Amino acid sequence: MHRKGNGPTDLADARPESSENRISETCETKSPATAPKGLSRLALNRRHFLAAGVATLATPYLSKIARAQGSDVNVGVVVPLSGANAQFGVNSRNGIQLAADQINDNGGIKALGGAKINLIIADSTSTPTNAATVGQRLIAQQNVVAILGAYASSLSLALSEATERRDVPLLTMSFSDMITGRGFKNVFQVISKATTMGAAQLRGPAGVAEKAGKPLKSIAIMYEDTAFGTSQAGGLRATAAELGIEVVMDEAYPLGITDVTPLINQLRGTNADAVFPCSYLNDGVQIIRTMRQQGIDMPVIGGAGGYVIPDFRAALGEYAENVFSVAPSNYDLAPELTDAFKERFGYFMVHEALEHAVCLDVLAKALEISGDTDSDALREALRKNRFEGGWAGVIPGGGVDFDETGLNTLAKPIIVQWRGDDLVTVWPDDVAKKEAVWAGK
Amino acid sequence: MAFIQAVLDGLMIGGVYAVISIGLTLVFGVMGIVNFAQAEFLTLGMFVAYFAWKFLGLDPLIGSFLSFAVIFALGVVVQMTLIQRVLNAPPVAQIFVTVGLLIVIENLTLITFGSDFHSVTTSYQTSTLRIGPLFIGVPYLAAFLMALLSAAALWLFTNKTWYGRAMRATAQDPMAANLMGINADRMRQIAFGLGVGMTAFGGAVILPYFTVHPTVGHQFVVLMFTVVVLGGLGSVAGAVVGGFAVGVIQSVSTLFFPIQLQNLVLFIVFLTVLAVRPTGLIGASR
Repeated sequence: MHRKGNGPTDLADARPESSENRISETCETKSPATAPKGLSRLALNRRHFLAAGVATLATPYLSKIARAQGSDVNVGVVVPLSGANAQFGVNSRNGIQLAADQINDNGGIKALGGAKINLIIADSTSTPTNAATVGQRLIAQQNVVAILGAYASSLSLALSEATERRDVPLLTMSFSDMITGRGFKNVFQVISKATTMGAAQLRGPAGVAEKAGKPLKSIAIMYEDTAFGTSQAGGLRATAAELGIEVVMDEAYPLGITDVTPLINQLRGTNADAVFPCSYLNDGVQIIRTMRQQGIDMPVIGGAGGYVIPDFRAALGEYAENVFSVAPSNYDLAPELTDAFKERFGYFMVHEALEHAVCLDVLAKALEISGDTDSDALREALRKNRFEGGWAGVIPGGGVDFDETGLNTLAKPIIVQWRGDDLVTVWPDDVAKKEAVWAGK
Repeated sequence: MAFIQAVLDGLMIGGVYAVISIGLTLVFGVMGIVNFAQAEFLTLGMFVAYFAWKFLGLDPLIGSFLSFAVIFALGVVVQMTLIQRVLNAPPVAQIFVTVGLLIVIENLTLITFGSDFHSVTTSYQTSTLRIGPLFIGVPYLAAFLMALLSAAALWLFTNKTWYGRAMRATAQDPMAANLMGINADRMRQIAFGLGVGMTAFGGAVILPYFTVHPTVGHQFVVLMFTVVVLGGLGSVAGAVVGGFAVGVIQSVSTLFFPIQLQNLVLFIVFLTVLAVRPTGLIGASR
C-alpha cells in the first residue's frame, strides 16, 4: 500500500482559495511555534463543517491581514511540514521566519518604501506532486514575488517546473545537480550542487587523513537511491577516480530501508579505510549503530542529510563523536547571526535553516537593488549582482553570485565533525574552527 | 558462511515482521476488516515506549509491555467507537474508516509530538554476539526473542483460555457464538485491542535499533501486508511463517542482487506464491 498523502489537504489544495483558507495560512506565517500550525491545519481540513468556527477563530488575525495588504511583499515558502521530511521542513521554515522578522524589524525593503516581507507558508507534504500544486497555487492566488523551498531535491525539482512555467524566481538550497542543470531561467541554487558536495565529501577527509599520516587508499560508498543520494555518490565516485582512491564498495539502497544489516555485512568484508554514507537520519543512525555492533570502527563521513542535525547526536550519544559530514554551511561560521536562532528555537541553527535564511536574505537584497517586484527586474537583479554580508555572507566562499544557470559560483562545501553536542567546522583550513580528528588506520 | 549470516539476519528481522503483522491478520480473521491504519499503531507503540524510556527510565524491552497495554486499551476504544459501526457496512465504508484513522493518527502524532526523530540509548545497543565468524546484534536478538515470546503468548491465549476459544468461536460464527452465551461484541473489542497491541509491542521492541517519528509506519506498511498475504490472510501461523519468509528473502537476496532491489526480489517471490497458492502459504483457514 502506498502512502495515502494528506487526503484532506489534497482536497483543500484542489479547491479555489477562500477567505478562511487565506486567513489560516497567514496566521501560520505569523506564529513562531508549531502548535498554531496544527490549529490552522485542523481549520483547513474541516472547513466544510466548521466554517463558522473558523471565522470566529480567525477574527483576531483580521487586522494583520489588513496590514499585510497594500505595499507588502508576499514571499511564498513551500516546505514539507508533514510526511517523511517534515522535520527538515520545520527547520527550514524556522530559518526563513527568523530572517523575515529581522528584515521587517529593520524597516522592511527600503527601496519599496519600507514594504514588509509577508511570508505565505504552504505545506508541500513530502510528495513532489503536492509541492508543485501548492507552488502553483501560491503564484496564482497569493501574488508572490518569489518562492523559497522546498528542502528535498525531489520536491524542489517538481516545484521548479511550476515556477518556471509561471516565470517566478525560485530560491533553493536543494543539492541535486538537476536543479540548475536543466537550463531553467527562474531557479537559483544558493549552495554547491550535489556532485560538488560529493567531491568535497571525499577531498576534505582525504586531505585530513593525509595530514594525519594515514592516507586514504580504499573507500566504501553507500547511498539512498534518491535524487540526493545518487548525485552525491556520483561526485564521490568521480573524485575517487581522480585521486586514485579505490572504491571497494558502491551500493545504493532503497529510501526507507527497514534493516541495514546486509549493507554492513558487505562493508565488513571490504576492509575499507573509511565509509561514505549519503543518507537521512534513520538510515544513518542504523548504519553507525550496526557498524559499531560489529566492531567496525573505520571513520564515517556522512553526506549531510541526517548527519548534521541535533537528533543525530541525540540518537547515537557517544557513537556520534568524531563522525564527519560534508555540509554546505555551518552555524559556527557566524555565531553572531546563528545564536539568535538557538535562542528562539532551542537548538543550533541547522544548515537547512541557515541556507533558507540566506535565500530570503538574497531575495531581500535583490529587491533593494531592483526596487521593483516585477519578476523580470527581480531575476535580473538576482543574476547580475554579487551578494555579500549578512546571512548571504555565511555561505562558505564568501557569499552568493549566481551564474547563467542560477548556480552560486562562490559556494564551497565544508567538512564538519561532531564534538560533544557541537558540530565543528574542520575543513578547509581557512574557515576551520578546530583541528580535525582522524581515527583511521 | 555469508549465506548462513544472511539467513540468520533474515530470521532476526523476520521475527519482528511476524509480530507486527500478526495484529493485522488477527483483526481480519476475527472481524473480516482490513485495518489500513495498522502501521500507525506501530508508530504509537514506539512513541509510548519512547516516552516510557525518556520519562520513567524504562528500557524499551520492558516498556513494550506498557506499549501493549496502552495501545490495547486504545484499540478497544477504537473498536467500540469506530470499527463496530462499519462491521456490517460495505467494504468501501470499512476502507474509509481505517484509512481515515491512518490520516488522523499520523497527523495527530505530528501535531502532538512534532516532526522530530526520537531514539533511545541503551547499554546493549551496540553490543554483539560472535559465534565463530557469525555476528548477531544484541538489540536484534532481543527484539527477536521478545517477538517469539509474544507470539507464543498469543498462541497460548487463543488456544488455551476460554477467552481465546470464545474469540475463535466468534470468528467462525458470531451468531452461534452469541447463542452460546458469548458476548461477540466484547470478543471483537478484545481481538482488535490484541491486534493493535501486538503491533505496538513489535514497534516497541525494535526501538533500540530504530528511530521513531510520526511517519515511521510507512516504512513497514507494505511489508506488513506482504507478510500477511504471503502467509494467508487471517491466519496467525501464516503471519509467523510469512514474517520469517519476508525477512529471509530480503536478507538473502542481497547476496545475489543489489540491496536496492531487495524488495523487488521479495515481490517476485510474493507474486509467484500467489500464482501457485492463491490462499497464501498457510491459507484456506479463514
